[in-house]
Amino acid sequence: MTSIFDSLQITFSGLNLDLMIVLPAIALMGGTVIFLLMAVNALVAVYFERKVSAFMQDRLGPMEVGILGFKGGKRFWGGIGQTLADAIKLLVKEDILPNDADRVLMILAPFIIFTGAFLTFIGLPFAENLVISDFNIGVFYIVAMSSVGVIGIILAGWSSNNKWSLYGAMRAAAQIISYEIPIGLSLLLVVLVAGSLNFGDIVQWQADNRWFIFHSPFSFLAFFIFFISIVAETNRTPFDIPEAESELVAGWMTEYSGFRWALFFLSEYANMLIVSIVASTVFLGGWLSPLQMFNVLPEAWLFLDGPTLGLFWVFLKAIILIFVMMWFRWTFPRLRVDQLMYLCWKVFIPFGLANLFFISLWELLF
Amino acid sequence: MSEYFNNIFYGVKSFLTGMKLTLSHFKNKKELVATLQYPHEKWPVPERNIGFDHAEYNLIRSRLHVDIDDCIACMQCEKACPVDCIKIDSIKPPKDSDFDCGMTSNDTQKKMIVSRFTIDMSECMYCNLCVFPCPEECIYMVGGPNASKHEIDYEFSQYERDGMIFEFADATDEQIKEAGGEKWIEQRDAKINKHEEGIKLEGEVKIAVPPPVTTPVKADESKPVSKTAVKDSGTGELEIKSFNSISDKMCRGIAKKTFTAAKRAGKDQTAMLSDIAQALSDMGKMTDEIQTILDGLPAPVAEHVTEPEIEQKEPESIPVAAESPTIFEMDLKDLNGIEDKMARGIAKKAFIAAKRAGEDKVEAVKNALEDAGKLDTASEALLSSFTAAYSDSENLDPKVESAGDEKPESGEQSQDLPLFDIKDLNSIDEKMARGMAKKIYTAGKRAEKSRSEVIRDIKAGLSDAGKLDSAIEELLNRLETGS
Ligand code: SF4
Ligand code: SF4
Repeated sequence: MTSIFDSLQITFSGLNLDLMIVLPAIALMGGTVIFLLMAVNALVAVYFERKVSAFMQDRLGPMEVGILGFKGGKRFWGGIGQTLADAIKLLVKEDILPNDADRVLMILAPFIIFTGAFLTFIGLPFAENLVISDFNIGVFYIVAMSSVGVIGIILAGWSSNNKWSLYGAMRAAAQIISYEIPIGLSLLLVVLVAGSLNFGDIVQWQADNRWFIFHSPFSFLAFFIFFISIVAETNRTPFDIPEAESELVAGWMTEYSGFRWALFFLSEYANMLIVSIVASTVFLGGWLSPLQMFNVLPEAWLFLDGPTLGLFWVFLKAIILIFVMMWFRWTFPRLRVDQLMYLCWKVFIPFGLANLFFISLWELLF
Repeated sequence: MSEYFNNIFYGVKSFLTGMKLTLSHFKNKKELVATLQYPHEKWPVPERNIGFDHAEYNLIRSRLHVDIDDCIACMQCEKACPVDCIKIDSIKPPKDSDFDCGMTSNDTQKKMIVSRFTIDMSECMYCNLCVFPCPEECIYMVGGPNASKHEIDYEFSQYERDGMIFEFADATDEQIKEAGGEKWIEQRDAKINKHEEGIKLEGEVKIAVPPPVTTPVKADESKPVSKTAVKDSGTGELEIKSFNSISDKMCRGIAKKTFTAAKRAGKDQTAMLSDIAQALSDMGKMTDEIQTILDGLPAPVAEHVTEPEIEQKEPESIPVAAESPTIFEMDLKDLNGIEDKMARGIAKKAFIAAKRAGEDKVEAVKNALEDAGKLDTASEALLSSFTAAYSDSENLDPKVESAGDEKPESGEQSQDLPLFDIKDLNSIDEKMARGMAKKIYTAGKRAEKSRSEVIRDIKAGLSDAGKLDSAIEELLNRLETGS
């Protein structure tokens, strides 16, 4: 697997330029692309979420705002300009810093969270050869980077000098740190079987054998543990205890407004995309088409694979997973703190450990 | 242990049930979505039925409607309305004209045309009182029993209030003119013009508002110009009642008489007071007591329009100041210049206490702040500006150094020049600035100010309003030198 970064570097090296110019240029290009991706993702996902929630509650959702007069449908899918209008509104909103807040930390916090999400994209494979930088330890890198955000959350809660914020931040810390363990345990299964931390190798293993979710009963279970844990990791309902509108106003985001709040929002939806892509790459075959699900069809039939289609499959799988996350959100009520901890420590972690043991046996036996 | 697994099993099962339920709603949105896109879609209006036939119960409360072709302008409805929200204007054609006003559907010959028939539905309380007296039955609430005449209208909300005023008259201007209503049209147009002008004026009037009270320290440095004269002239606060405090009957009578005469002659307060003083001393009735009363009179006016610090160190204005020493009194509001909330509170408290006890307020405030450790440089400067002002007023010392030396000079120099003509100001191009300059000029003239003073006043007034540009300044400078 060659990464975008490598191929760009190869392209530029033909121009005989100084490395000190080429590297920042490439980094800048990559950064712009990631940022655009995050912004578009937030716009689309928020609209999607509103519609999904509306339909699940027998409503219509936004119907009035269009882009240049085009509203996008009369009966159900109208109001496509709504999130754009919201984004503009957010950017022109007053940026409020409470008097007694810790100004430096409060300004810093959203950027830390944003940086966490942003950096994660670097190691994220969108298709074969479509990864900004291909790490040998890709899986590990992403797990590490996605926990940078929790520092930002704690900072945000602490610096706001508001009891709701602090409660929210404490809950977020407890929740995110706890749920990283089942995530790690589930990913460990994959690493153990595929023998690599590199996303390219993991997908190659699935191409040679079958989608990892269908590898064994244990990996099937691991997928669900992983998926539910990433929902908790992204603070989404039913695990939105840190934000809990009905208890904590908006949790650690209570005191934020305007652009800084928009950064939180952006990172939150970016995180959703990230975890969905990771889940689809690791468990659902990544850029492999559904025809390779069980790897029983002859080679000649696999006409649905290719560089462009790979991108399509990754995003399709991610979007389905995102839809399921939204589906969760509009189905289940929020868990209590103790239920949340119970679920993590008393269900997921024992099951994860047992999974790990049994899959090792499975590997030994078959 | 089995409970543990049971719990997990139950959890997964209810999890799936819930997911299935929401998915079914998601999928069946065609049947299930309950939202009605209100302005685009509407529920049908339910049939109105309260147990009576419409014929028996001939009443509905909804929007009023007038069949203007039937209206004979009898004004019965206008008179009946308890909130006066119906306005009718009608025009009667002159006797000899053959203008035909038309027939109503009841075959009544109309004798006038209706040029205006407005109902302000935002004022209407739907009492139906206007409906009953109508001899032609042409004013009614729409829908219900009247549905055959006009369909129901239950949603006439508007984006602007004006939209709630419904105009039913449909006579064209030509028809009105033909019926001899030129004068009415003129009046209406004048009204409309006035209204539009008023709307346009709104923004400008705001700009012309005098600048907010500046902090004393600043004013001392930047604009040592007295506005006393300008403002005094405009106030009509001196009343005949004010002289009631003169105890001597005869003096009171003289004072009042002079006052009335002066008022009729349209003099301003300063002139009035000097008239009264003159008359009294002519009669040999001038006592110290009356003098103080007279001195005290313009004070309440001056106190709140002038910033106490403005009494400034200008020799010229001292005669004015001498008449009203009270304007140097520190006002409670002046303490608002103190920024720190706490300090402000302390200062105000001390101020009031001192006022009650009749002590030196500035001193008292200063002490109080010092005790509380809140006396910073800014508030000290603020307070000392009062002290300075205070002592100035007490001594009435014309040789205050800080006012600079050139001012008395320029005053002297221009005093021999007679006051320029008000027409000279016509060369100011900008309308607003011209108006302001003229106003200040007139005020200054009334107060018998010297040429340079008036010009200085104009300059200050204009620059306060942000209207002083280089052209105007040049003009004023030219006027000052008399060229
Ligand atoms: S219904 Fe009553 S309030 Fe309304 S216009 Fe008629 S008389 Fe006036
Ligand atoms: S009572 Fe009837 S006819 Fe008379 S002015 Fe009113 S609407 Fe016209």
